[in-house]
Parts: sequence; C-alpha cells; structure tokens
Amino acid sequence: MPRPALPQLYPLLRTLTLALVCLLAACNRAGDPVYRDQFFAFGTLIDLSLHGVDTPRAEQASRALEQAFTQMHSDWHAWQPGALQQANAGLAAHGQASVDPAMAALIQEANRLSTLSNGLFNPVIGRLVALWGFHNDEPPQGPPPAADRIRQLVEQAPASTDVRVDDGQIRSRNPAVRYDLGAFAKGHAIDRGIEQLEELGIQNAIINAGGDLRAIGRHGNRPWRIGIRDPRKPGVLASIELAGDESVFTSGDYERFYEHEGRRYHHIIDPRSGYPAGATVSATVIHPVAATADAAATALFVAGPDAWPAIARQMGVKYVMLVDREGRIHLNPAMQARLKFESEPEAIVMSEAL
Amino acid sequence: MTRADRVLMAIVLCTLPLLYLHFWTDQEPATVLRMQVADMDPTVTPLTPDRHVQLAGPIGESIIEIRAGQARFLDSPCPGKVCVHSGWLREAGQLAACLPNRISIQLLGNRPRFDAINF
Repeated sequence: MPRPALPQLYPLLRTLTLALVCLLAACNRAGDPVYRDQFFAFGTLIDLSLHGVDTPRAEQASRALEQAFTQMHSDWHAWQPGALQQANAGLAAHGQASVDPAMAALIQEANRLSTLSNGLFNPVIGRLVALWGFHNDEPPQGPPPAADRIRQLVEQAPASTDVRVDDGQIRSRNPAVRYDLGAFAKGHAIDRGIEQLEELGIQNAIINAGGDLRAIGRHGNRPWRIGIRDPRKPGVLASIELAGDESVFTSGDYERFYEHEGRRYHHIIDPRSGYPAGATVSATVIHPVAATADAAATALFVAGPDAWPAIARQMGVKYVMLVDREGRIHLNPAMQARLKFESEPEAIVMSEAL
Repeated sequence: MTRADRVLMAIVLCTLPLLYLHFWTDQEPATVLRMQVADMDPTVTPLTPDRHVQLAGPIGESIIEIRAGQARFLDSPCPGKVCVHSGWLREAGQLAACLPNRISIQLLGNRPRFDAINF
C-alpha cells in the first residue's frame, strides 16, 4: 500500500478541522443582541434599535428621544396648536411672524431644499393639503375637493421663494403661503434624534419613524440590513446594507390615502396641478441626512418617472429607486449596485449616473 | 491515519457548509409577537397556537389574529382601519400599529433577516 503524502500534516489537519467546527459553533448567538424600544410620537410609531448598549443606558436614551420627539412634534405640527401654527397664523394675519432660532433654521432648510427641487417639494402649500382633508389624523372621507377651489389655490402659487427669514422673523410676499412641513419635519426630527444618541455616546443605532429611518454604525460585525417593502403587495421588494451613516426614506401613495368611487386619492400633492401626483407609486431615496432624504423622496415622487434624475442631481441625491404606475422599477446604476431584489423585477428602467 | 480517521474527517468537512448556513446566515423565522399598548410595558407572546388576542387601547379593543406563525390586526376601533389594511406580518422585524388606539405589534426572532423595514 503506498504511503500517503505528507503524513506529518495529518495531526495539524485534524486540529484545524476541529478548530473550524468550534469556531462555527461559537457563532451560535443566543439571540438578536439589539435593544429595541417603540413609542408613539410624531403621529407615528418610532422604532428604536441600539446595538452594543447596556439596557439602563438604552432605556435612558429611549426616554430622552421620546421626550424630544414629542416636543418637536408639538412645535412643528401643521394643524394643531404649536409654534408652526402660530407662525402660520402670523403669516395669514400680517404676512409675517416671529419665530425662535430653531424654527427659523427649520424653515430656512425647508426653503433651501424646496428651491433645489424646483418647488416639487413645496413646504408652503399648507392650504392645499388642508383642502384635500389631510390635516387630520384619519384619512378624509367622501369626494375630492371642488376643482375650482383647487385651481384657485394653485393659481396663487405659494412658493418658498416668497418667504424671507431674518432677524427672528419670517416674511412672506404671497398671502397664500402656509407652512406644512409634513414631507420634511420627520426627517429633521430623526437627524436631531441621531445627534442626541451620539451625544450620549451611542454609535450603533437605527431610528425608524413609521418606516423612514436613519442608521448609524453597524449591527456588530455586519452592516445594518434594511428591507424595502413592496409598494403593491405584502413582503419585501429589495434589501440594502447601510454604510455607517445613511437614511432611507420612501414616499408612497399607500401611506395616507382614501378612495372615492373606485379612485385613490393620496396625500402627496403635486403643487403644479393641485392634485395627488399620478405617475408614481413609490420613491425611495438614500442620503446621509434624513431631512434631505425626506424632502427628496417627496420631490422625486412628484417629479415622476421621467423628470426624477434631474431633480435628484440638483438635490445631491446619489441613490434612488422609483416604482411607477405600471410597476416598472426606475433606478440609477449606483442604486442598482447596492440593492438586492427578493425576486427578479419584471421591468427595470436604468437612468444615467447621477 | 486510519480509514476511520478519513471517514470522520470527510463527514466533518461535508458538515461544515451546513454548519455555516445554520450559524452564519440570518434566515430564521419569527418566534414571538411583541405587543405594546400606549406607554405600558410590552408583552411578548409565542406564535403558537393560532388564536385571537384582545388588546384594550384608549379608544377601544383591537383584535390581533395569530395564525401559522404570522400576525395581523383583525379589527380595531379606529375610523380609517389603516392597521387592518396593513395586513399580515410575515417575518421577524415587521411591525404594524394602530395609531389612534396606540397599539403596536411586531414579530421578533432570534436572527431577523432585516434590522428595519422601510416603507
């Protein structure tokens, strides 16, 4: 019988095999090592995930966040008493209002993003949103508003460029301007929440506010993994791993809507027509800053399948996925490289690089 | 090295990929349902047997249906029924909420496929 080659290596091989098995077995974690907490704030459910934080510190962080979100919600609410409603009352009565520095900064940032979006994210169409009945916790009922009322508000063309912010004052030259920060405030609140967590020394976290989120750090030895829900059927459309500090925001026609005589009316109003934007089902944006991702998701939803790349470039957005009425998935190449689809999409429309 | 050594080593080497898949991938179904009413401490309940769970919130009683490892809002006293229309939760990490009744439910597992769901 021939002697086997290199018999002196057998003990080493045996040891290595045993070590591999032990290593793999050691990876059998007892459970998900993530602290999770949920609370109701900002008109939605806030889902907090923290990795590598002991429970007392995690609970302290969660309580602090809940307080902060509750306060921001009250200050920035579009139709309940608070600082923003006071500002709107001042604009309605005198064309100007006093605002504190935090509100002034919030409004300035909303105005800046609105300009970059060519006004497709329009934070001053509060009267139009109210006319559609979306200034209510519950979806409206009954027929859509009368066409002439909608036309009247659209013709007044309130725009963020009508507003000047200085010396603790906001001044509008257009009497139709009313702030509704619904497509921006949640993102801004998440950014403040992440700052607060970082001040507490927390480096690995997700703040998920009703499906829109920002994630910092990692889940232990791997990136955070996010599933993007399919806009038209149960389950996940695609997944993505986040790179240290990124936000994922989706604007969809399924979020707040009502149906009348078989037709769906959703809450994302195209400021140019005064009607819900019709060509898009959902727009997903990844951006480091949650407030930018929030405003951009709305702007790109309104822009629709043809115009979104130009608006994305102007807003500095590098990753976009848009699902249109026909179910086609519009992507830029960088986004495609990051997404992992659950099943092969039927139709992908690739844009040029952003 | 004896024949037994070789057989044993072959078995161990063939088992390695299975061990890898079992321990290193994150494909594990949800095991429990976390339910929370307003600011109260959450309760966690197993996903078997199939049953209905009644939860009393500020505006009335919401009914949660647990069936075949999944969960959903079957009924809720809210006007819009957004929670009911959100449908079945099928995998660990997914959550649904009735905002007016301040009730949230979430499937949990030891190793969820996703850390959060965007929508």
